Amino acid sequence: MGTISLKNISKSFGSTQVLNNLNVDINDGEFLTLVGPSGCGKSTLLRIIAGLEQQTSGDVLIDNKNVNRVRASERDLAMVFQSYALYPHLTVRRNLETPLRLRDYNGFERLPLIGNFSPSKKEKTESINQLVNKTSETLKISELLDRKPGQLSGGQRQRVALGRAMVREPVAFLMDEPLSNLDAALRVHMRSELSELHNSLKTTFVYVTHDQAEALTMSSRMAVMIDGNLLQLDTPQEVYDNPSSLSVAQFVGSPKINIFKGTADSSGTISFLNVNLKRKSSESNTDLHIGIRPEHLEITNERNENTFSGTVAYRENLGSDIFFHVNIEDGSNKIIVRGLPQFTHQISNGSSVNIKRVSDKALLFNQAGMRVQFTNA
Amino acid sequence: MHNSKAHIWFIAPAIILMIIILIFPLFLAGGISFTDYNLGNKTFEWVGLENYDKMFNRKTYVKMIWATATYVIVVVPISVVLGLCAAMLLNSLRFGADIYKTIFFLPVMATLLAMAIAWEFTLHPTLGIVNSFLANGCGGVREFILGFHWLPWVDSQESWYAVACANNMDFPYWLKQKNTAIWTVCFIGIWQAFGFNMVLYLAGLTSIPRELYQAAEMDGAKSTWEQFKLVTWPMLGPTTLFVVTITTIRTFQVFDTIEILTKGGPSKTTYVMMYAIFEKAIQQNLTSIGAAITVVFIGFILVLTFFQRYVIEKRVHY
Repeated sequence: MGTISLKNISKSFGSTQVLNNLNVDINDGEFLTLVGPSGCGKSTLLRIIAGLEQQTSGDVLIDNKNVNRVRASERDLAMVFQSYALYPHLTVRRNLETPLRLRDYNGFERLPLIGNFSPSKKEKTESINQLVNKTSETLKISELLDRKPGQLSGGQRQRVALGRAMVREPVAFLMDEPLSNLDAALRVHMRSELSELHNSLKTTFVYVTHDQAEALTMSSRMAVMIDGNLLQLDTPQEVYDNPSSLSVAQFVGSPKINIFKGTADSSGTISFLNVNLKRKSSESNTDLHIGIRPEHLEITNERNENTFSGTVAYRENLGSDIFFHVNIEDGSNKIIVRGLPQFTHQISNGSSVNIKRVSDKALLFNQAGMRVQFTNA
Repeated sequence: MHNSKAHIWFIAPAIILMIIILIFPLFLAGGISFTDYNLGNKTFEWVGLENYDKMFNRKTYVKMIWATATYVIVVVPISVVLGLCAAMLLNSLRFGADIYKTIFFLPVMATLLAMAIAWEFTLHPTLGIVNSFLANGCGGVREFILGFHWLPWVDSQESWYAVACANNMDFPYWLKQKNTAIWTVCFIGIWQAFGFNMVLYLAGLTSIPRELYQAAEMDGAKSTWEQFKLVTWPMLGPTTLFVVTITTIRTFQVFDTIEILTKGGPSKTTYVMMYAIFEKAIQQNLTSIGAAITVVFIGFILVLTFFQRYVIEKRVHY
């Protein structure tokens, strides 16, 4: 079992409030990502779960037991640090053994030399060796066991750090931006490996990242945190399609969502630029933000009351997609439009283009940044 | 590139200076140690190993080796361990660490000469504050603690403190007594060396990443001792190596305290090498024997340096 519940967690450092009354329930076997821009308190929250930091108020429950007064070493969690925090003076094998030795051997057996006289030590040593071998085979680091961390590459160190966490089968894994020190290609590769690892271990993962792509690709649910507040906790698809607020919509998705300033009149009809939306807003007579993701805009040859036009400022070619950074004619917005290469290869910087929307994809937000629904009518 | 002679011009000044002020005097001392030359003599004769023979057979020089060895073997480990303990304690303090740092570091900064004179007064057999402190404590708590009466096997009538009190305040003469002089000098040596070691260890401690301690905690290292064994001590390896080397060389060189406090006495119990070189070569003008002691001294330092460089260095750097 590995459920973790956070109840009304707040944390402040001096007068700075870092976490604001957070409530999260993490299910057994779930891959939960805490994602947010740097400084949003996600690492602090992870460290509160780990017990390395004490919350100012609120409760942490692991497997329904309150662990507020249980220290980190006794919570039976494993953590992978951003810097890996491997013991530089020990070989990879000893690094992997350390958590087992500290837990399985008693004080006498850990003594140098005379500890070997303990009758039960041999048995324990064998089981430790087996576990280390099994883990290193899973992570494909068997041939590295006799090296020291200084002789490993970043990716290899990452695996050893994972191995040290895995070796003793903890209640849950806590990971603090474990991929951020790797190069881009390796990072993408490790994403899939971590997902596979999670599928095979079926243990709870709590994963902290500032990279929304990691959160979208790996997690079963993601918790978006901004400025110490939990803004949305849902599946990645739901967070992407249905963000609860403007900040979430802007944080999740790359390239960023396009935001237009618009208004809703007394009947709830929404207009922005020269365009009126078909659906009506549930809030009337107000200014609105209309969010449309780059893939929901298209470059078109038509020119009518449903399109608007602009000039291409920059053509960003990613091979599979091309993103056009377009300055809207009235100068109010700079937006990003996705185009497929086969249809847009002739468009270059400085071309003027017409843009149309894919219907039913716009998202509405009020002035406070909260989501506004469309009326069903 | 390889035909150019420019590099010679770049390194020549350093090399020439090194030869003049380091290597040449060294060889000169080596040469003189095989002669009977004294400063001012017009002639000399080769006497082979006679000077060295004296050194290892005459009582004075055997005592010199003993005094030096005792001093080094006592001062180095204690001042290193104390320095480490003080650094770790200060590192865990939230307030007041700066005050303690200053207090512990003062002996390092202060003029040793002045400090030694202060110690001389402090330890004076009749006027000194130490012995009057002890005399006033007869029969009290001081006697109980310092006389080790709290240890179950110490007889409170027979302890050194009780005996001294009973014999008309016959407390040790510290620097003037054969069986206490070297230990008193060692104590002063530790007092002035450990502050420096503490500062080096403090620097070493701050460079240990905090995440390592957190990783150790997550791995189940609960007690401070476990964390010390798993993280602190190994991570301080390079610092310890440096501290031990520096302290050893500095304790080998001890001179000022000896010159002021004991002049090598009583009966040569504090006759350390550096003082012997000074006394023989400068005061008694026995240049050749002074040179021989110097050569042995350099030998010790060289052995130490090689040991550090090739044996220990491999184990502490990773």
